[in-house]
Amino acid sequence: MPRIEVSHKCCPSLELRCLPLLGIYNLESSLKGFHLYHKLPSVVPESCLLILVGLLLGGIIFGAEEKSPPAMKSDVFFLYLLPPIVLDAGYFMPTRLFFENFGTIILYAVVGTLWNAIGIGVSLFGICQIQVFGLTDITLLQCLLFGSLISAVDPVAVLAVFENIHVNEQLYILVFGESLLNDAVTVVLYNLFKSFCQMRTIETIDVFAGIAKFFVVGIGGVLIGILLGFVAAFTTRFTHKIRVIEPLFVFLYSYLSYITAEMFHLSGIMAITACAMTMNKYVEENVSQKSFTTIKYFMKMLSSVSETLIFIFMGVSTVGKNHEWNWAFVCFTLLFCLIWRALGVFVLTQIINMFRTIPLTFKDQFIIAYGGLRGAICFSLVFLLPAAVFPRKKLFITSVIVVIFFTVFIQGITIRPLVEFLDVKRSNKKQPVVSEEIYNRFFDHMKAGIEDVCGHWGHNFWRDKFIKFDKKYIRRLLIRENQPKSSIVSLYKKLEIKHAIEMAESGMISTVPSLASLTDYRELKVKVKPLSSAEMENMRDILTKNLYQIRQRTLSYNRHSLTADASEKQAKEILIRRRHSLRESIRKSHSLSRERPASANTTRYLSLPKNTKLPERLRIRNKATFRVSDSSDSDTDAATTVLNLKPRPGKKMRDPKQKQRKPQQQFRMEWRNEVDRDCDGKGDHREAANQALTSSWFRQPLLSRPRFGTLSEEDLTKDDGSTRPMPPPRLGRQASEPERHRSKSENQPY
Amino acid sequence: MLIMVDSKYSNIVLGYNDELIWKHLKHLCLQTVTSEQIEHLHRRFKQLSGDQPTIRKEHFDNIPDLEFNPIRSKIVHAFFDKRNLRQESDGLADEINFEDFLTIMSYFRPIEMNMNEEQLDHFRKEKLKFLFHMYDSDHDGKITLQEYRNVVEELLSGNPHLEKESARSIADGAMMEAASICVGQMEPDQVYEGITFEDFLKMWQGIDIETKMHVRFLNMETIAQCH
Repeated sequence: MPRIEVSHKCCPSLELRCLPLLGIYNLESSLKGFHLYHKLPSVVPESCLLILVGLLLGGIIFGAEEKSPPAMKSDVFFLYLLPPIVLDAGYFMPTRLFFENFGTIILYAVVGTLWNAIGIGVSLFGICQIQVFGLTDITLLQCLLFGSLISAVDPVAVLAVFENIHVNEQLYILVFGESLLNDAVTVVLYNLFKSFCQMRTIETIDVFAGIAKFFVVGIGGVLIGILLGFVAAFTTRFTHKIRVIEPLFVFLYSYLSYITAEMFHLSGIMAITACAMTMNKYVEENVSQKSFTTIKYFMKMLSSVSETLIFIFMGVSTVGKNHEWNWAFVCFTLLFCLIWRALGVFVLTQIINMFRTIPLTFKDQFIIAYGGLRGAICFSLVFLLPAAVFPRKKLFITSVIVVIFFTVFIQGITIRPLVEFLDVKRSNKKQPVVSEEIYNRFFDHMKAGIEDVCGHWGHNFWRDKFIKFDKKYIRRLLIRENQPKSSIVSLYKKLEIKHAIEMAESGMISTVPSLASLTDYRELKVKVKPLSSAEMENMRDILTKNLYQIRQRTLSYNRHSLTADASEKQAKEILIRRRHSLRESIRKSHSLSRERPASANTTRYLSLPKNTKLPERLRIRNKATFRVSDSSDSDTDAATTVLNLKPRPGKKMRDPKQKQRKPQQQFRMEWRNEVDRDCDGKGDHREAANQALTSSWFRQPLLSRPRFGTLSEEDLTKDDGSTRPMPPPRLGRQASEPERHRSKSENQPY
Repeated sequence: MLIMVDSKYSNIVLGYNDELIWKHLKHLCLQTVTSEQIEHLHRRFKQLSGDQPTIRKEHFDNIPDLEFNPIRSKIVHAFFDKRNLRQESDGLADEINFEDFLTIMSYFRPIEMNMNEEQLDHFRKEKLKFLFHMYDSDHDGKITLQEYRNVVEELLSGNPHLEKESARSIADGAMMEAASICVGQMEPDQVYEGITFEDFLKMWQGIDIETKMHVRFLNMETIAQCH
């Protein structure tokens, strides 16, 4: 039977219902304020505070009403609160790491949970037999059922605690993957034992049916998830005319997979996880940038809200008359949970280390065992126990609550100091580097090649095969314009922008002027007409339509860190500023006579021989993919812009106010204004636009720009469209500085 | 070592229980390679070479899956690179025997639990040196821009939509990063010659290559052999 059958408590009157809701909303909003106080979440995980708030609220209601506050109804939890969290987790899961550790995760999830469940159940039964404690009326089956529901590691709690401590990704994925996948086991065991409790006799065939059911539940859930994920991807293939509802499909199909699985008594969590992972792979390519952003933010918002509500409700539900305290049962439950978890992890690790190439160290094992937190799932499951069969239900509720509170509070708070004390390897969130991406790719191919040479079908072989199959069939079917996108290229483009920004920023802010440059600067007296506001509006509009569209890979799985977008936004903003200054300086530069960088002896470019000019690259530019549609004053080909940011020792135009951040480094940048993603067939537009650009250069370089806008198709992935906060005074100031664009100071790319 | 080659090889054909062979192979730092693994590799070697005592470059063409690998030539090249074979000379060998084959394979053995810091460091350096040699095709001890471009072009060669220009730009950008990491701030007139091995080590500092660069050699009996 599904978990969503529940006996509803009779609803209190309207006022009472409003009161907790109001209280909750107020508290929730004020609670998010505590994020502003940075210290607190680092010491105490958010979940603890939320539970405390819930307790407080429950206490208030209880005091006011003398009646138990509305407990969290299990169907609300399972139907509405849990799916968003699992969806968010599954969508942002690092799939590669997940599949590399899949065997380990499955072992922990399945065998570990079974071990825990049976161990706790049997040992509790042993305790119950002792006459002194007054627990003899609890049967073995009840104990087993209790054990099964309390042994499940909870994804919500794990997420809440682990996201702050930043352990290395492998460890995180082990604990978290286990918490997701053990749902199948939990569902099966729970229902199995519950039906056993209600049956008169149990035959061995039933046990075997139970085992078979496990496979059905787990695999069936996953299949439903994958199927619906494919349907979602297929649907989004055709949505380029109606971009606005793309996010809807993502949420719809994932929720559908959850409900469908629950309806068939399969594992809903596994279904939604599989659906999310499938969708992440394919849907991401089909949807527009805006839809993607919407999906990401909305998902995070939903999961954040759900998590808050869950914990608050847990606090609220604790207060009340639902309890029966028995020292022995409660304490031993807690003790056995800890012991069996530790034992289970230890034993299983010994087994799995024989198969792993990188064995898990003792520290890892400790963290895995310690990170096995219980949470809202067992809380809801215990409320679902049929009171008729379980006369001691209140006792169970009490002990579950104690276990949950212990794990969330004590383990949650102490895990951070423990991680530091044990010096567990932390995740090093470095900046993505193109060379690293190249190396990784090189690696993969090399390992696959070596495996081929050895004649060994290893991990990499299967992975390679899957990727080829994927490319050949699945992607063609599911993805609209099947452009194989190299991750190296997309990363590179993203980083190029960052380069540009940083250089632009440093160019605006810092250099050390040499004496020569200072004198040069003073010699030039250029009067510059400041930009009129209309012109700037124009520029702004056109630029917002034509900036880069770089798709962020879904890397993060941390609910609270969406910082990558902030930098992207900032990047674009600075890019715009940069272009403005560029344009200005170009205009001015042609009113002066300038030295062309024909003195190639001052230019160096890495290990190319000294006098190599690189004009041939510029000439090829028209055909090349990597082009800049901005204007430049390159000596050979004006159709393209190569930002030849070469420092010229003699002539450095610097703002004397600027201080140097780093000395210059020659830097050559080309980038392309990626108006649309397709490379083929659109080259003509760009060429034409570029011609227009070159012809009507100086006066109004922007006139040609609109051609980009009109030429591009509807499915242009547009920028967020939010107005950029342009600082006009700053631009004005830049406009008054001559010749800044070329000889800006270049700082390091990183 | 040379003297032992022929007689040792014939011994390998016969069996692996000879102590001398074990000592010799262990001398090649193959401590973690077990006898089953050596046996399997030997079978594979014979398969590739067509029962000849040595393998030439042409024999690698027999591996069908390797055809689709974009860096195929570099991998094959790596097998014959004398620097990888721990020979004093430079350049490429024409053919390799089983001992050399094992030497190359030893670069891919997984990390051991009981290695101390020094061993780990040596381990890591060995692997990185192998990688370095793959990049540095002209054997001058530096990865120049041209070589880097070559690598990136090969990597992206499987993608028909990308043009050479993009690959070159990417290589340039990556080289820039390398320059900034290795040399730090550069004077405007400074030329960055290429990535030396020390620089290479610096770049790989954050990445734990010893856990990544290995091929699983487990349960050889159950692994199917692809022809």
